[in-house]
Amino acid sequence: MRNVCVTGLGFATCLGLERQSVATSLRELKHGIRPYNEGYRGDAPIRVAAPVPGFEINGEDAEDWIYPEGIRFRIDQLRCLSPNVLYAVHAFEKALIDAGLTHDEIRDPATGMFTASAGSAKMNHFHLEQMKKVGPSRAKPMGMISSIAGTLSFNLVARYGIQGASTGFVSACASSAHAIGAAYDAVALGRQDRVIVVGAEDFTPETVLPFATMRVLSLSADPDKASRPFDKGRDGFVATGGSVVMVIEAEDVARKRGAEIKAQIAGWGQSTDGHHVAIPHPEGAGLIRAMKQALEMSQVRPSEVNYINAHATSTIMGDVVECKAIKSVFGCRDDLAVSSTKALTGHALSLAGVMEAGFVCLGMAEGFTPGAAHIDDPDDEAAGLYLPSESLAEAPRVAVSNSSGFGGANVSIVFKPAGATG
Amino acid sequence: MPAPEETQQIEEEIRDIMKRCSDESVRAAIDYSQSKDADLVPAIVIGIIERFVEPSLRGQVKELGKQARLTEDLGIDSLLMVEIVMTVEAVLDIAIENDELKGLRSLGDIEVFVAAKLKGEPSPHVNKVFGPEQIAATMPHQPPFLFLHEVRVNGSSAEGTFTIPENDIFLEAHFPGDPIFPASLMIEALGQLAVFSILRSDRPEFADGSPERVLFVSSDGVRCHRICRPGETLNLKVEFSRARLPIAQFAGSITCGGSRVAVVEELSLGVYGAEGEDA
Repeated sequence: MRNVCVTGLGFATCLGLERQSVATSLRELKHGIRPYNEGYRGDAPIRVAAPVPGFEINGEDAEDWIYPEGIRFRIDQLRCLSPNVLYAVHAFEKALIDAGLTHDEIRDPATGMFTASAGSAKMNHFHLEQMKKVGPSRAKPMGMISSIAGTLSFNLVARYGIQGASTGFVSACASSAHAIGAAYDAVALGRQDRVIVVGAEDFTPETVLPFATMRVLSLSADPDKASRPFDKGRDGFVATGGSVVMVIEAEDVARKRGAEIKAQIAGWGQSTDGHHVAIPHPEGAGLIRAMKQALEMSQVRPSEVNYINAHATSTIMGDVVECKAIKSVFGCRDDLAVSSTKALTGHALSLAGVMEAGFVCLGMAEGFTPGAAHIDDPDDEAAGLYLPSESLAEAPRVAVSNSSGFGGANVSIVFKPAGATG
Repeated sequence: MPAPEETQQIEEEIRDIMKRCSDESVRAAIDYSQSKDADLVPAIVIGIIERFVEPSLRGQVKELGKQARLTEDLGIDSLLMVEIVMTVEAVLDIAIENDELKGLRSLGDIEVFVAAKLKGEPSPHVNKVFGPEQIAATMPHQPPFLFLHEVRVNGSSAEGTFTIPENDIFLEAHFPGDPIFPASLMIEALGQLAVFSILRSDRPEFADGSPERVLFVSSDGVRCHRICRPGETLNLKVEFSRARLPIAQFAGSITCGGSRVAVVEELSLGVYGAEGEDA
C-alpha cells in the first residue's frame, strides 16, 4: 500500500476564501456566523446562519449571481450551474494553486475526483415548477443537469477534463468524509495517483429550512453564541454551505514533483449504527466502531491521538452521543484536545467532513490545533474531556476527524503531520 | 388592436424572455408582436443567437453573417441550440420540432427556416437524408442504371454519394482489365442527383406541378480532372441555379477522396407535368 498525503486545500467557507484567512479564523476562534433572515418564513424563526463572504446567489439565473473575481464561466457552463458548483469552482482553483498543480497536470487518467453534495434543492425546485408551468418542451434543457446531486461532479469533470475515476457520495453529513476515505483507498491501492475530493453545499433556504422542520436548527439570535457544541445551552445547529477541495495524492508522486505535503492520511474507518433513520445510536456504538477501525488501520494506539475534531453539531442529542463514544475509545485524558470547529462555521452538511478534515490538515501545516469555542458551561457528558477554550499553538501529533450522517453512517479519519513516521 | 395594458404585458414578457439580448433585437421583437412584420425576424433571431454565443466569439456573428456556422464558428452545442430554439419559439409564438433542427447549421439556415415557418411554408433548408431504398422508390431510374447510394437534400442544393461497385457491368467493358468509371456516367450521376432533388424538392415551382417526368436537356462546361476506379466513393453535389419551366438549371461537381473529379458548369433538365412533355 502506498502512503497517502494531502497536498492541496482550497476553501470557499464562511471563515474565508483563502487558506490564510481560514487559518487565522481557526487560530483566533473567529466565527463566520451572521444575522440572517433572507428567504426564511416568519414561522421558522431562524435568525443566524454562516454565509460565504464574496458570494451572492440571487434568484435562479446564474448570470445574476455574484462571486469573487478570478473565476469565470462560459455561457454553456452558466446554463448548468448550481450554487454548490459555483462555490466548488472557487475552492478547486485555490486547491490547485495550493497543491502546485496546473490545469494540464490533472488532465490524466491517474487523477480522479470524488464529490459530495446534496445537489441543488433550489434549482431542482425551480426547474420542476417551471416544467409543470410551461411543459417539458419549454422548460430549460439544462434544468436537471444543474439540479441533481451529481451536478457537482458533472460540472467539475467537464470543466477540468478529469479522466480518472469520478463518482459522488451520498451519506448526508458523512458524505465528504466517505469521499476522503474512498480517495485514500484508491490512492493507497494504486488505482489512482491522485484524487481530488470536493465537498460543496448550496446554502439556500431550500437546503436549510428542511432542518427547521426537524427542529434541529438553533433559534438563537446571537451570532456569537448560536453554535456551541458541547455546551449545556446549545439548542441546535447553525447552517452553512460553500465548498472545500482537498487534493489527495500518493506520497511518492507528491515528493517526486516537489509538492508541499500538508498532512498524511494514516487511515480511516467507517460503520453504520443500523439503528434509526435519523437519530444516532444512544451510546454511539457505530461511531465507536468507526474510530476503532480507523485507529487499527492506521496502526495508531488511542493514547497517541492528541486531537479529535468532533462531528458535534451543537444539537442536543448528537453531541452527547459523540462524547460517550470518544470517552469509550480514548478515555478522559488531559492531553487529548477535543473540539468541534462547527462552533465557528456552523454545520456544512455534506461538506462538513472534508471541511473539517481540511481544518485539521491546515492546523498540521501551519502549526496549531483549533480550540473549542463558545463553551461557557460544558454538558455533563463532556465532563472529563479536554475542550481547550483557545486554539493551541502546536500542530496535533495524531488527529482524528469524525463525521456522522443520517441513517447512522459514521466515518473517522486519522491524520498525521507531514514527515511523521510510523 | 390589443388594449394598451395587454400590449404592456406582452412587452414585459418579451423583455423577460429576451433578457440579455441586444436592445435592438428586443425592440424588433416588441415591434414584431404588434406588426407581425416578417422583415423584423432576422434581427430578432440574430439577437437571440448572439446572446447565447460566448462574448469572445460574438464578433463572428457580424463578421461571417449568414455564413457563420453554429457549432464550428459560434461554439453553440446541441443543448444551447435547444435553448435558442425555445427562446425563438416563445418570442415568435411558433413551435419547432426536434427533427426540424437537424439541418440547421448556419445563421442563414436559421433565418430561412424561421421565415418559412412563419409563412406556414415547408422549411426549405432542412437537411433530409435519403438512403438507397428511398432513392430507388423516388427515382424513375433503377439499378444497375442508378448511380446514387445516399442523398442529402438541403434547400437549393443536394449532395449524394456513390461507391463504384467492384463488379460493375459497365466497367467490365470500360475497359477490359483496366476498370475506369466512365465520364459519361459521372455526368449521368450528377443528372440523377438533380432529378432526385427536383422530385424531393419543397420548392413550389416543382412541388406544385408534381413532375411526371424529368429528362436530360444539355450540359455545358464539362471538365474531368481524374479517373475513378472500383471501390472509390464519388461525392456528388448539385446546386440549383434557376428554373424557367420546363427547364431547370443546376451546377454540378464531383470530388473523390478530397480531390476534384469532374465539374459541370451548367446542367439543364426538362421538367414535365402530368399534361405532357410540352406543358
